[in-house]
Amino acid sequence: MEFSIPKESLDFKESVYRFALRDIAPEVQKPEYDEREEFVVASWRKMADFGLLGLPYPEEYGGSGASVLTTTLAGEALGHAGVDAGLMLSWGAHMILCGVPIWQMGTESQKKKYLPKLASGEWIGGLGLTEPNAGSDAAGIQTTAVKKGDRYILNGAKMFITNGPIGNVFVVAAVTDKSKKAFGISAFIVEKGMKGFSPGKKLSKLGVRTSPTSELIFEDCEVPEENLLGEPDLGFVNVIKLTLEWERSCLVAPAIGGLELGLQKAIEYAKQRKQFGKPIIKFQAVRHKIANLKMNLEAVRQIVYKVAWLKDKDIPAMMEASAAKLFVSEMAEKMSSEVLQIFGGYGFIKEYLVERGYRDSRLASIGGGTSEIQRGIIARSIINF
Amino acid sequence: MDFELTEDQKKQKESFAELCLKEIAPKAEFTDREAVFPKESIRLLGKVGFLGMGFPEEYGGSKGDPIIKSVLGEELAKACASTYLSAGASSGLFGIPLLRFGTEEQKKRYLPGVLSGEKIGAFAITEPQGGSDVLGMKTNAQKRGSTWVINGSKTLITNGPVADYYVVAAYTDKGKKSDGISLFIVEKGTKGFSQGKSFDKLGVRGSPTSDLSFEDCEVPEKNLIGEINKGFVQLAQILSHGRIGMAVYSLGIAQACLEESISYVQERTAFGKKLAYFQDVHFKIADMKMYIDVGRELIYKAAWMLDQNDTQSILFASIAKLFMSEHATKIASDAVQIFGGYGFIKGYKVERLYRDSKLGEIGEGTSEIQRTIITKLIEDQY
Repeated sequence: MEFSIPKESLDFKESVYRFALRDIAPEVQKPEYDEREEFVVASWRKMADFGLLGLPYPEEYGGSGASVLTTTLAGEALGHAGVDAGLMLSWGAHMILCGVPIWQMGTESQKKKYLPKLASGEWIGGLGLTEPNAGSDAAGIQTTAVKKGDRYILNGAKMFITNGPIGNVFVVAAVTDKSKKAFGISAFIVEKGMKGFSPGKKLSKLGVRTSPTSELIFEDCEVPEENLLGEPDLGFVNVIKLTLEWERSCLVAPAIGGLELGLQKAIEYAKQRKQFGKPIIKFQAVRHKIANLKMNLEAVRQIVYKVAWLKDKDIPAMMEASAAKLFVSEMAEKMSSEVLQIFGGYGFIKEYLVERGYRDSRLASIGGGTSEIQRGIIARSIINF
Repeated sequence: MDFELTEDQKKQKESFAELCLKEIAPKAEFTDREAVFPKESIRLLGKVGFLGMGFPEEYGGSKGDPIIKSVLGEELAKACASTYLSAGASSGLFGIPLLRFGTEEQKKRYLPGVLSGEKIGAFAITEPQGGSDVLGMKTNAQKRGSTWVINGSKTLITNGPVADYYVVAAYTDKGKKSDGISLFIVEKGTKGFSQGKSFDKLGVRGSPTSDLSFEDCEVPEKNLIGEINKGFVQLAQILSHGRIGMAVYSLGIAQACLEESISYVQERTAFGKKLAYFQDVHFKIADMKMYIDVGRELIYKAAWMLDQNDTQSILFASIAKLFMSEHATKIASDAVQIFGGYGFIKGYKVERLYRDSKLGEIGEGTSEIQRTIITKLIEDQY
């Protein structure tokens, strides 16, 4: 066993942190973006210019060929610098959920066509799995795709799609053979502007408000057959297999950074806030909350790094990824509540970012498989029934 | 980076687990019920080299780093927490200060016996008025000619009633507080020294605990460990070992709870189906598994840092111990819940595990002390 992180990965993490602290965080943290539920295009462009939008893809497709661990560290650095969870969510949906299936399952021409555009930020991507009646029960999707000549005709609707209102390209799952259930669902690459495709209205949300979410609507949407992603009927299963472990490591990484930022802010605040004649950091109740923050931060870090390491080694990590996602998301929520508690009344008002962080943390235990789904996966991996 | 055990470590784990299952676990119920010190098991652990891991061969030691000690320790704690605790107090808490700070003569005289399991060691800091507050201790040692005369009393000392040798902390210059404590070796039978009666405890009942009393107890000059007045600093340097050891104690108990629960839910039927089919059972077991896996990683990380002499190992040892012990008590409580009424009955393993788990949050620094340490170590970083 050996837990040191390669120096080049640490250096990269540090450079991402410094960049984000200077060029991204001050802008995205402005309350008006949260109020107006606005995606911060300028910051997105800067992230693209820094090379953060295609990290794991091979260089020939415009990426950096970064390992899962390095990608995870970059996410952590962005979160720590104070890049809001909304922009981070859009980053994950774009780079991981849309890009990774295209990179791993796509034909050469699909990879050449889409990955450079995603990596450069010219296009924004997303993944369309969830439907109004198929959330946790992902295999229950009802959107259909019927082959007609050299195209597929898609009908149905997707729900809660991150980047829905702003995306240029989506990986979309649709039933091609209903009798085969989960093994009769194919994946397609659908572009904005394709006939019969339209994003729904932006949904107004509790948190991660700078990451736009909407339905995707398919009304006799015509998708050219070359946009079938991966094998017919197996696209869905393969997309799930591919993205889940990524999703549950890289995509939760910003939450690690967010926890560290929360710890930092809590300590800074507790040192300057005086009550009963002394800084509140002198009170044991506050000190022990801070200890809990630190403990859980290190726990989260270790467990996510482990999933990233397993993924880099190509060791199947379904259970580990589920456990990590479950642990990180529930900790993010609990700890952001503790940070808010340390801030007291100030934590409850919009001016202080902890209020936003508290709201933003709530999504983590719902998106990417609810906590309940993760617990089911873990239990099934160790109990026979 | 490498999160996996080596092939060699995996083999060691496997064969040690088998030994624990065959030789230690079957005695655990009796050990607890009758509160009998598992002397034979300790000898066996000496014979197979577990007690000597990490000590030089010349003192009866064998190869081993903090990581493999944690890996094997989990198996032992899983089999019998009492045996684990007494073994750790003997070779670890008594042995490590000697190894680190003792003279050649001290090491030669005491280590081989303790590492072979023939002799039992113990470590005595806690006093009636000085537990978490180490500096609140009252025991003192005064130099008189070529002997140290120790007066005072210790309490809650693991292996207190059964040990042959003790490391004892005493003030040698009370006015200097943390710069006035020294460590001494006291042998059973020393004039003025007496072992108290074994306490009746909630858990780890097979690991005997007692008072020690020192009334003009005369200890030869050569029994001072290392330099005079350096005791507190010495303790600080070896705390990580004990804390990681206690985290492993909790890990083993938690893992035993998980394994017991998994096998029970696959057998027990209610409402016409196995408990294994109920979602609530899934969720309890999933939580156990998650917290155990996270805790184990924290322990390995702390152990690795200790092995690397990383200055942050103290912080990570506290984190690992705090995390694992608090989750272990919750896990043990959930295991009892899964077993229902049976979990409340003596003779069912989870009943014992539930009682044993509580010590994890108290021994080697309470949870409150761990939190105090963690914040103290990090507050100036921000």
